[in-house]
Amino acid sequence: MSKIRLKGKPSSVADTLFRAAIALALLAVSLVVLVPMFNLLALSFSDPGRVGEVTGLTILPKGFSTVNYRVLAANPLFVRSIINAIIITVVGTAINLLVTSMAAFALTRERLPGRRFFMLLVIVIMVFEPGLIPEYLVIKKLGLMNSLWSVILYKTVNVYYLIILMRFFEEVPASLIEAARMDGAGYGTIFLKIMLPLAKPAIATLGLFYGVFHWNEYFRASIYLSDPDKYPLQLILRQFVVLDDTASLIGSGALFSYDEAARLDYGALKASTIIVAMLPVLIIYPLILKYYTKGVMEGGVKE
Amino acid sequence: MLRPRTLRTRFRQEGFLLVLLVPALVYFSVYHLVPMAGMSLAFQDFRIVGPSKFVGLKHFKMLFSSPAFFDVLKNTLIISSMKIILFFPLPLLFALMVNELRSVLLRKFVQATAYLPHFLSWVVIAGVWISFLSPSSGGANQARGLVGLPPVDYMTSKSAIRWVLFASETWRSLGWDSIIYLAALMRINPSLYESADMDGAGALQKAWYITIPELAPTMITVLILNLGFFMSAGFDQVFNMMNDSVISAVDILDTYIYRIGLLNMQYSFSTAANLFKGAIGLVLILGTHSAAKRITGKGLW
Repeated sequence: MSKIRLKGKPSSVADTLFRAAIALALLAVSLVVLVPMFNLLALSFSDPGRVGEVTGLTILPKGFSTVNYRVLAANPLFVRSIINAIIITVVGTAINLLVTSMAAFALTRERLPGRRFFMLLVIVIMVFEPGLIPEYLVIKKLGLMNSLWSVILYKTVNVYYLIILMRFFEEVPASLIEAARMDGAGYGTIFLKIMLPLAKPAIATLGLFYGVFHWNEYFRASIYLSDPDKYPLQLILRQFVVLDDTASLIGSGALFSYDEAARLDYGALKASTIIVAMLPVLIIYPLILKYYTKGVMEGGVKE
Repeated sequence: MLRPRTLRTRFRQEGFLLVLLVPALVYFSVYHLVPMAGMSLAFQDFRIVGPSKFVGLKHFKMLFSSPAFFDVLKNTLIISSMKIILFFPLPLLFALMVNELRSVLLRKFVQATAYLPHFLSWVVIAGVWISFLSPSSGGANQARGLVGLPPVDYMTSKSAIRWVLFASETWRSLGWDSIIYLAALMRINPSLYESADMDGAGALQKAWYITIPELAPTMITVLILNLGFFMSAGFDQVFNMMNDSVISAVDILDTYIYRIGLLNMQYSFSTAANLFKGAIGLVLILGTHSAAKRITGKGLW
């Protein structure tokens, strides 16, 4: 009567067809994500003379040329914007991690004076967004206008990340800390020698998230920075691709032979800008998959 | 047993904890607390020099008598409904489908590609979509052409643009938002399925009678927590996908606040609109938090 079925063995033809249909539908989702990106990549590397052959569904370049990237590399504004974005991302992330982990450590110590008050403060900050104009006026008053610091320090502490790190610190066994205490360790030693090394995976994950956030940030830069020399890449990209201000990128065309500049295709040049702006995220993406999704899944199993 | 510490070492030790907290407190003050206090500007007339004059509800009266404000409010509610309620079942469906995949390689590939757009900026996504939807060379219209349909200029069509917002939001968040369901799926006790197998239940029956009920608490949590952000509707997306032809269909509270505040420099009026949005948002967040806590035992904090 009762049959024992091997786990994972398809039970019937209908079942197999059902699974195949699901696999195909999911592959279609992947294609919808990938095709537009590969299309831009193909467009950016195509021979300028053959750009017309690139359709919206082309995923391989027609011919091969790096002219678009050479135009970008010769544009001082564009190169400067990459440097600015790197400065904002590196300095910003370092400050994020330092300030967030120090605060998370302090807030998880029971002896912290005024702990309940500070926790209440964190919740208030989490639920109530202050207005754009009041923030703008504060930055102006502090003399941070047109300074990279106004952008670097924005979101120094993401309260959600702060809480994630606090949960991590809370899970460190009390016995470990007690033992260190017995050996005469103060809070500084406990923080540096016990907590930080133990929280390394969490801190690495938050670092990736903070880093992606800084790299992608454009809005604060657009309202606080007035000097185009200070603009980060995303802001230049917005000007060029979203606002269609081609003059800002072609301004340095003088560096090119007239012939080459005349053949340039704006669509392809825009595509190259988008590719450059995505590149760092694509490079660290495998790390994000490794740390974050693994963490979430394992966390889910543990619960 | 710990050695009893002298008052002095205690003071030094706990003082050190406060020192660790100082940088975060400075940041909170500059970017959160002082601006929060600065929202009192909504009740004043802004002056560049000298103290601003208290004018009571003047700016709120102006706001509620402005027809533009109600258009913007309507757009916010429509776009939020699409992105929160209409979108809601899609990540769940996606997770259920991924869960059915037997091939680990295929599963990893689908997940890796579907999560990717979450990490791209809205500037990049707008760039990708503007290019993809281009009436002359975009992939979407090329695909329409294959089946004999005429091209559509989606980005400048008032009737299409909200669907562009919905579709690009789905493109960006479908995979990422499914993670929470995939994690919940892994927690379901496999013996439930085994006994259903013994009873001869099919795949759909198992999904309906086991999977969906088991996922219900997660679904409720996701839905009500998202409702807390109903007044936001996604500034960065709209800001980067909006253009003059479609502004009347997609202008939301946040883009309106930005425009009247920073472009028209009506600081007090903009802050009043912002305070209105913040107050409703606060009620929604506190309401959904307590609802989540009551229904599932887990809240926002």
